[in-house]
Amino acid sequence: MFFHLLAWLALLAGSAPVASFTDGLGWPLAALHLVTLGVLAMTAIGASLQLLPVATRQPVRSHRAPALIWWLYAPGVGLVALGMGLAQPRWLALGAAAVTVALVAFALLLARNLWHARGMPGVVAHGWTALLALVALLATALLLVATWNGAPLVARGTLLPLHVAFAAYGFMGMLALGLSYILVPMFALAPAPDERRQRASFVCAAAALALVVPASFGLAPRLFLAGAVGAGALAVALHLQLMARALATGMRRELGRSFKLVRFAWGALVASLGVALALALEAPIDHLGVWFGLVLIGGWLLTFLLGILQRILPFLASMHAGPGVRPPTPASLTFDRPLAVHFVCHLAALALLALALALENALLVRVAAAAGAIGAAAFALFYVVLLLRMHRAARAVPAPPRT
Amino acid sequence: MRRGNGLPIVRAAAQARRWRDSDGEHIDVRGLPPPEPLVEILQLVGSIADGSIADCSAVIVHHDREPVLLYPELAQIGWQAERLAGEPDEVRLRLERCA
Repeated sequence: MFFHLLAWLALLAGSAPVASFTDGLGWPLAALHLVTLGVLAMTAIGASLQLLPVATRQPVRSHRAPALIWWLYAPGVGLVALGMGLAQPRWLALGAAAVTVALVAFALLLARNLWHARGMPGVVAHGWTALLALVALLATALLLVATWNGAPLVARGTLLPLHVAFAAYGFMGMLALGLSYILVPMFALAPAPDERRQRASFVCAAAALALVVPASFGLAPRLFLAGAVGAGALAVALHLQLMARALATGMRRELGRSFKLVRFAWGALVASLGVALALALEAPIDHLGVWFGLVLIGGWLLTFLLGILQRILPFLASMHAGPGVRPPTPASLTFDRPLAVHFVCHLAALALLALALALENALLVRVAAAAGAIGAAAFALFYVVLLLRMHRAARAVPAPPRT
Repeated sequence: MRRGNGLPIVRAAAQARRWRDSDGEHIDVRGLPPPEPLVEILQLVGSIADGSIADCSAVIVHHDREPVLLYPELAQIGWQAERLAGEPDEVRLRLERCA
């Protein structure tokens, strides 16, 4: 929640560079990484350690490791953001080192869980690919940091597409797609999606990632990138078909505001492939790279995550209200008004950012960032109230214990 | 249900076994992939709650793990769960309406 708010504030600080699309270290880059590392990856770590054991039928073997990972990861992200925002490559390097150690520890924890998996092969395959993508993402990140610190070991033009592809579509994307096969049917109370189609979608998505690699090294880039987009489009089509079926056949049809955000995010995922194709074909459209980032990170991943979080957090809080206590209902834990504020502000922020990019207007970037920050603060309020109500419920008179 | 290598069989079809006994309507969801145990259990609870299944007020669940996501769903509809003694590797629950 904290990094979510900080990301919009960093964008507010860096509104002029965003509007004029200057590249390099600065607050826009810091804002981007506060979202990707501070919000998306942070949540992915927690979500995968909570949900993958459901699919793999394996518990997470260490209870202390996630806490240790957090204590290394969170300050590391802060240092990365400060290093980028204040253009301090040494701070960036230190932060990157801490983040890398934390993510490697998380990767080992996840690998151990996946290795002994006993169910849901489609979800497990997505998990393994996310893990491999994480390794590639960390390698490219460290090489980029080396470049910023005056040691360019690999050309930035090679590293950047790999970094973006493996971060957004690889690590985060594979986790989002894979965990959706558990979460969406769970929310809709629908049967598990067809395993063969899950695997078909996975194969196409993995092929898409693989095709980015030769393109990044300058080998027939237009052909391989267009192929990657094609394979990615097929993967997304199969995935969304399964999601639509789950929503259409589930016992619960009304999923509220959270799923309006999720549906918007799915639309942005499709749109991101269109922008990716335009990039691959070097279409003569101004600032395509920034549009790609807005649609991919803001439109798809962040919106999807926030939609899912506001649905699942009350359930997780109810689950963790304490042993031997009749759980409070998720509805009783949810303070809905801030979520309504967040919904409007988040979508307004994205729309205003798009307008700001089209018009190259720094003032509009500031207005967008302010709207985003208000939305983020509202979301944080929902979360704080959730925790307070959960603790209050845990202190209430316990129901007869489950024996 | 276990294979020879000790790993439980994961059923491909979404079919929980059900039967009636003196203590309630039994449902065995062991081996079903998530979220089918949750769905099947809630469908059964819903059928009892709306009277589609008559003369029954309790559900006995036979599961292979703690259905942590079930409890908030039950709380939402005014039902509660009580753990019962069961077979080794079985989580057996009695579900009924809250008093």
